[in-house]
Amino acid sequence: MSTIDERLTPTVSLAPATPVETAPRRAARPVLGFLQRVLLSDYFILYLTIIFFVVASASFPTLSAPGNISNQLSNMWPLLAVAVGQTFVLILGGIDLSQTSIMAITSVVGALFITQTLDAPTFDKSPLWGTLISDKGGILAGNPNAVLIGVIVMLLLGTLIGLWNGFAITRFKMAPFMVTLVSMIFFSALALWLTASRNVSGLPEDFLLLGKGDIVSVYFGPKLTPEIARRDILPLITYPFMIAVGLAVAGQFILSRTVFGRQMFSIGTNRRASEVSGVPGSRVIMLVYAFSGFCAAVSAILYSARLEIGRPSLGDGLLMDIVGAAVIGGTSLFGGKGSIKGTFFGVAFFVLLLNILNAMKLSPFVIDATKGIVILIAALLDITRTRLINREARS
Amino acid sequence: MFNKLNRYSLVLVVLALLLTMVVTVSAQDGMTICFGFQDLETEFWVAGHKAITETLRGQGIEVLEYNANENPDRQLEQVRECIAQGVDGIIIIPQDGDSAVTIIGEAQAADIPIAVFNRPPNDRSKGITVVADNVSATEQAVEFIAQKALAKWEATGTPIKPLIVVGALQDTNAIGRREGFFNVINRYNEKYPGMFAEPIEVASEWDAATALANLEAAITANPDVDFLYTSSDFLFPTIRSVLEPRGKWVPMGDKNHVLMAGLDGDATACMLIEQGYVDATGVQNLFYEAELTMNRLLQAIEEGDTQPNEVLLDPGFALTAGNFIWQSDDMWGCKLYREGFLDQ
Repeated sequence: MSTIDERLTPTVSLAPATPVETAPRRAARPVLGFLQRVLLSDYFILYLTIIFFVVASASFPTLSAPGNISNQLSNMWPLLAVAVGQTFVLILGGIDLSQTSIMAITSVVGALFITQTLDAPTFDKSPLWGTLISDKGGILAGNPNAVLIGVIVMLLLGTLIGLWNGFAITRFKMAPFMVTLVSMIFFSALALWLTASRNVSGLPEDFLLLGKGDIVSVYFGPKLTPEIARRDILPLITYPFMIAVGLAVAGQFILSRTVFGRQMFSIGTNRRASEVSGVPGSRVIMLVYAFSGFCAAVSAILYSARLEIGRPSLGDGLLMDIVGAAVIGGTSLFGGKGSIKGTFFGVAFFVLLLNILNAMKLSPFVIDATKGIVILIAALLDITRTRLINREARS
Repeated sequence: MFNKLNRYSLVLVVLALLLTMVVTVSAQDGMTICFGFQDLETEFWVAGHKAITETLRGQGIEVLEYNANENPDRQLEQVRECIAQGVDGIIIIPQDGDSAVTIIGEAQAADIPIAVFNRPPNDRSKGITVVADNVSATEQAVEFIAQKALAKWEATGTPIKPLIVVGALQDTNAIGRREGFFNVINRYNEKYPGMFAEPIEVASEWDAATALANLEAAITANPDVDFLYTSSDFLFPTIRSVLEPRGKWVPMGDKNHVLMAGLDGDATACMLIEQGYVDATGVQNLFYEAELTMNRLLQAIEEGDTQPNEVLLDPGFALTAGNFIWQSDDMWGCKLYREGFLDQ
């Protein structure tokens, strides 16, 4: 787990970068010591995911079928993209409730720009009808660079909304919860208003590739017939994979290898002490919220492209998954602690959990309740881990 | 740099991957159908879900049920999960006509036949689509109350003030029902100029809370509404909660009675027509639609047709206060009502 840099904020209490290895008590009790080491490890959630997977596969063999694994991996990428941004915000000690509405608004705005057809009786109630959209589609319909421009517009819009959130938090000293809650309500409503509650379909093929295009596909099994069924050809490396993993790697790099990342941990641990030490708190906060908006827009691109529509309610009900994945991955809700690596494991755990709950044929209400309980357990584990780390640091 | 724990991780990852490669998925002997639906909040969907699952299981077919809880992206993931499990066929009730197109494409790309029950895709050229003729069923129901409205207008000379509670207009069912309503209103206004005032449209988004808020606002602004059509019967309790405090939820014969029609043919509508509060409802023949869906899908599976494309129409009919005595037995909601569905 990445932690605050000592040189930047000597006034705040520090957690060790790695667990202390030489506690005498641990030597006396090797099993307990091992369990403690596992619990404190950066890879704790990965171990849990693997154990969970192996045990569940014994009861539900389809879980370990290559097709299912490929499918679950494809479910991970859009969630990972948006969870990366949320992790950044949580490390600051904030929260971004507006991510789902940023997904919705960027989804419909991008789609309205690039759509190639629009049904007049359906869309003529949109305030954009006759200006940005018409029965010939969006303003970029037919433009050879439509997808590129549309994607840039989506990313810019997401970033600007995030920047606004950061500005409101720092400038007006408002609570992140309140600012992002208002943004969530406002931009959700705006997305519905712009589209008159309709989905925007007719998106260009090049855009759809971003959500489901394969780069490398694989086939497992003997070649018994001259032709392989299409369902047996599994996507392995896809555009969403490249985009989400690229974003995650960039995020991890920023967190662990840049001054900016260290400043984030510093602010998350103690903003006041950090600013006294020369960390530009407001600037860092604004940029982090902008990045969160950017990540939400990336996720909106992936979700919209795979669903083949711009959807004004895109992201509805996803907030628990986003925050949950980050928290399960070890990001502290109190700030100052977290990593993209952990969030990656958290997303994998969350997707696997959903896969298993579906395999158990539980109702969606039970599934949501279980997800909530798992997040609660993760938060409690985080408290336990922090206590253990502090105790070891003292000893 | 690999420390001890990193090495454990590596070993565990390798073991898990090995296990994945070793575990062979046993082929299922019988037929498996994946049934993905959105929610079961209304009587129509509860009855439809029951009809499909019980009939399929009765034939010895394994049914994998997935509830996407009104999230089309989740439904797409679930259908992909079904495909990965190698099901023989898929039946879906999609959230909207747009996502249905994507989901059908996903199933057909994997060579799995798919049928859409009652909520049709915007592009009906792909997949098996079983759908009620919403325009016709609505027209029949609204025609019945329009005739009563004509008599009232001729007696009083006061224009009738109509209101329609529309569904989520991403759903072609909602579009068809709205179209049917306006067809009747326009037809009467052409024949009897000035009979109907400008209709008031209230958005429900197929959500009772949204409908309640919007209907409250609309009736407060237009207390003289006397002609109401709801795009789904499941909203009658919501309508009642708005009209009753205003003294407008009264049976036929009372001067404050609002002429009311709906669509679906559920148990509540049956009861309300019997009690005289509601005048008519357009009926979707639910059991017939469920049977059509299953039979056509099973036929495609048997024939090895992986991409059956066909639209199967349920013509529907209107149950009215006028034909209730002899036609209520044909309505699925009345069967449920008489079986005590509303007492549960």
